[in-house]
Amino acid sequence: MPALTATRLLTDLAATQRRRLALAAGCGLLEGALVVLQAGLFAWIASALLVDHRPLARMALPFALWLSTLPLRGLLGYARETLAQDASLAVRKRLRHRLLDHLARLGPVQVAGHHTASLAYQAVEQVEALDGYLARFRVQLVLAVAVPLLVLGITLYLDWLAAIFLLLAAPLIPLFMALVGMGAERLNREQFAAVSQLSGHFIDRVRSLTTLRLFGHTERATQSIHAAADGYRVRSMRTLRLAFLSSAVLEFFASVAIAVVAIYVGFGLLGYIGYGPADELTLFSGLFILLLAPEFFQPLRSLAQHYHDRAAALGAAERIAELLDQPVPATRRNDAPSPPPASEEDLLVLDAASVAHPGRGTVLGPVTTTVNRGDTIVITGASGSGKSTLLQLAAGFVAPEEDGACRRAPNLRFAWMDQRPLLVHGTLADNLRLADPEADDAALTRALESAHLGELLARLPQGLQTPVGERGAGLSGGQAQRLALARVFLSAAPLVLLDEPTASLDARSEQAIMSALEALKAAGRTLIIATHHPALIALASRRWQLDQGRLEEVPHG
Amino acid sequence: MADSSSLMRTLRPWLGVLAKRRRRLWLGGGLMALTLLSALGLFAVSGWFITATGLTGLLFAAGVAATLDVYVPGGLIRLFAVTRTASRYLERLYNHDTVLRLLADLRTRLFAALAGQSSRVLAGRRASDWLNRLTADIDTLDSLYLRLLAPPAVALVAGALLSAFVAYFVPLAGAVLGAALLAGWLWFTLGQARLGMAASRRHVSELEALRGGVMETLQGLAELEAYATLAERQQRLERLEARLHESQRQLGRRVALGNALQVWLTGTAVAVTLWLAAGAFEAGSISGAVTVMLPMAVLAMNEAFGALPAAFTWLGATRGAAERLNELADPAPAAEPEPTKAPPSGELTLTLDDVGVRYPGALEPALDGLSLRLAPGERLAVEGASGSGKSTLTALLGRQLAPSEGSITLGDIALDAWPEEALRRRVAVLTQQTELLDDSLAANLRLANPEADNEALWQALDQVSLAAWAGALPQGLKTRVGEGGRRISGGQARRVALARLFLRDPALVVLDEPFAGVDRTTAQALGAALDAWLAGRSVVYLVHKAGGEVALPGIQQTISLVNGRPTRAATIHHGPEGSPQ
Repeated sequence: MPALTATRLLTDLAATQRRRLALAAGCGLLEGALVVLQAGLFAWIASALLVDHRPLARMALPFALWLSTLPLRGLLGYARETLAQDASLAVRKRLRHRLLDHLARLGPVQVAGHHTASLAYQAVEQVEALDGYLARFRVQLVLAVAVPLLVLGITLYLDWLAAIFLLLAAPLIPLFMALVGMGAERLNREQFAAVSQLSGHFIDRVRSLTTLRLFGHTERATQSIHAAADGYRVRSMRTLRLAFLSSAVLEFFASVAIAVVAIYVGFGLLGYIGYGPADELTLFSGLFILLLAPEFFQPLRSLAQHYHDRAAALGAAERIAELLDQPVPATRRNDAPSPPPASEEDLLVLDAASVAHPGRGTVLGPVTTTVNRGDTIVITGASGSGKSTLLQLAAGFVAPEEDGACRRAPNLRFAWMDQRPLLVHGTLADNLRLADPEADDAALTRALESAHLGELLARLPQGLQTPVGERGAGLSGGQAQRLALARVFLSAAPLVLLDEPTASLDARSEQAIMSALEALKAAGRTLIIATHHPALIALASRRWQLDQGRLEEVPHG
Repeated sequence: MADSSSLMRTLRPWLGVLAKRRRRLWLGGGLMALTLLSALGLFAVSGWFITATGLTGLLFAAGVAATLDVYVPGGLIRLFAVTRTASRYLERLYNHDTVLRLLADLRTRLFAALAGQSSRVLAGRRASDWLNRLTADIDTLDSLYLRLLAPPAVALVAGALLSAFVAYFVPLAGAVLGAALLAGWLWFTLGQARLGMAASRRHVSELEALRGGVMETLQGLAELEAYATLAERQQRLERLEARLHESQRQLGRRVALGNALQVWLTGTAVAVTLWLAAGAFEAGSISGAVTVMLPMAVLAMNEAFGALPAAFTWLGATRGAAERLNELADPAPAAEPEPTKAPPSGELTLTLDDVGVRYPGALEPALDGLSLRLAPGERLAVEGASGSGKSTLTALLGRQLAPSEGSITLGDIALDAWPEEALRRRVAVLTQQTELLDDSLAANLRLANPEADNEALWQALDQVSLAAWAGALPQGLKTRVGEGGRRISGGQARRVALARLFLRDPALVVLDEPFAGVDRTTAQALGAALDAWLAGRSVVYLVHKAGGEVALPGIQQTISLVNGRPTRAATIHHGPEGSPQ
């Protein structure tokens, strides 16, 4: 499969909204036609009035026609903008869905390999960054070709020499586009790099504000921020002088072409030009041509303005495409389930299962062992020996290599808890219901009590509706761990996987978690715990010792 | 209108920053107006010229002798074509320069404001998304001038000039045009702003809610997959997205409406001007050429009004950015209190009396009922798990935070009465988080002492056993440490932070987990150097566990913190390495 490129991603995405985008372009083209019609009416009225001396009273009809095309043009513009916007919204929704879906299929372990904030940035801001390209640039690209052609055709019919003046500029159009495009793209790239460097400098100083203040250094830092921003300005102005030239060239040609056409038509009307069609010019055709000339360049000017949309979209699409290109391991896909274990008493069977990470080789296994219902197993071993990987394998977050297998009891549900429990922005109840959306308040309260959070709950005036998860407020680390534990109680899943549940906790939380785990054990749940903690090890009925990915069952209990 | 006065209040501090560049802003606006007037002139004179030549040509054809000066209008046309291009180029360049100057002004102002803030406001805001939003908000404000100030001003002036110009020839047409353009201008600015205010104001928070939701989901993927609630969670994200997109749809519709009205208004103004001018022509008060010139000039108003509806429909975004920055930049004036007496120069005793800290919105106090007394030269260890209140205590001692209850005195003077400069000189704090600037090794060290020469820097590095390492670096002290010190290891970064302390001469030293991330062997060597440097100074250590992996030198008392409450272990140690007697 060829790698997904940014251009292809953008083209594919736009293709899903072909109809809306085509309709939008159609509206734009009709707008162009109306502009031509309005220019024609203007010229005709002026000519009828001034040349034919037709009384104003007899021109109500052309004026009425003119006035009636105006709202129509507005309406078409409205339709063009809304159609293109709807297309853009639909594409972004679709792409974000696809991206989040892909991340979910990659699974917790692969996702953890990325910086979460930057993934979120890609899924939110970078997807939004496609808006300008979809809602404006795509449509304008069509119009930038079609409308000048329309204008040119009519001018050609009116006066071929005037059309030639416009046409003389036409071969330059691709040149403009390239010039403007290259300018915009380079500018965009350089600006982006410089701006992010500058923002980096600022963010860096803000982040280190505590230290700067403790050393009484804020005055100097403020000066350095000003100096950096000003240095950036001086450097940036140097490149901008050139970069703005490219669009100035486009402006220049547009202005000069209008001026040349005006002067040509004027001298032609005076009869000073004895060559070609000039002596056939009338006030009507002359004015009409003059009014059309700016419309020949207008779509190109708009396109030049939207060019940075394209550059921004390409940049965003590149990183999104990279992410979408990451393959999902075969066994994490739904189409390749392993057969269940033979015995009903076996929850989980590992059969020569091993796990390898790209670049790091085999980190676990091959492991062959069975987990029976009701077991309480501790996994011990030095850090880096593969404890977490073994838990991830049991959970199905990582796939075993092809020569081994990890078989689960049919429809096996499991609960998971690690050192960084999930806290979502919402109430205590919202956070608990992550484990069971259907649970009622009584069940939530019971779960909190089982996790030794009943005392805290009793102290909260808003009870289960207390907001948590807000930055800087809410739960301590130990309380968050116990909240995750409450989810385990709430879920009633037969298999419970715990990764270092007591690491970096105060004694009270540690004690609470210990007794809660005992309660889980007594309730007949199957526990697998990766831990160093002696008291947890004592709790277990079996012990797996890991040494550099090799598992050895130590006689225990 | 209460709403618009609150809008002005929100924007005022930022308009004040802009006002300092008043001359540049006027000049930039002038260039913008020149560009617009050139376009107007180009259209008007071309229309006049063609009509005049057309009519004169007809006279020639009829054999009537007539004269027409073609050189002045021809020259004007060429002039306007050139000035339009040149002034546009200059305007873009000049205004870009202005915007970049404003960026520097705004960042400097904001940083100075942040620097004057209590660290609590910042503490929760370390996260990079907050910082990114901060820079995005500044960027939104620095384009305030280019999107929301200059264009409407230029459009208003151009509209007035154009109406006066038309009125000079046809008073009625001028009056009608003036009224129509003013009504349009009001709608495209105030009307559109009103239409889009609510949606554009909440847009950023909706975007943030979505990003926050995505971030939570990705961080909690393991639990969500385990409990099979991922699908439900994704639906929630879709709802957040739908809300965001609904706002965008609404705003897009309103911008489109504004644009459609703008096209309609300008077009109608052209037609009506032609109608009224034609009436004047029939009445014999203006020439044929002028009859065409007037509506042609009106055409140029498309350029003046074109960008207004979109800019003003999104005014709420600028307002939101200003509101968020105002929150940061306008704290209760933290005027430094006049010191009651000069701070003592000699030894300092630190006393905490029943000190408590409660963060707003927190479920429990971060620190509660802490009392202690530290005599000069004494060393105290405060131990506790993460979240037990140690970092809060560090912030208190460094005066990054004021206690909600109780009092702190240093050398018999209330801590908050110390003059800033003296306090920083006498108290050194090593925070738990190592903060290095994305700058050279030397620059990071000189934060502690800007006057230190290279020799002093090398000596400080030697004290933390980094001299050999730094000496082997090709760029030596000029080596850049990367963002947040990421180009060097965590242990090295910690030692650089320690080395900074050695460049100072404080009486009280607060060390929060001084050896975090430093391997055991190195830590032992550091302990000896630290012990020597600490001699004669008062010390507060904040540690996970006193007497943990690596013993800190010379601990004489220990206090344990559990959930912010002290349980005094009250062990008085004597002798080296904190071994109990």
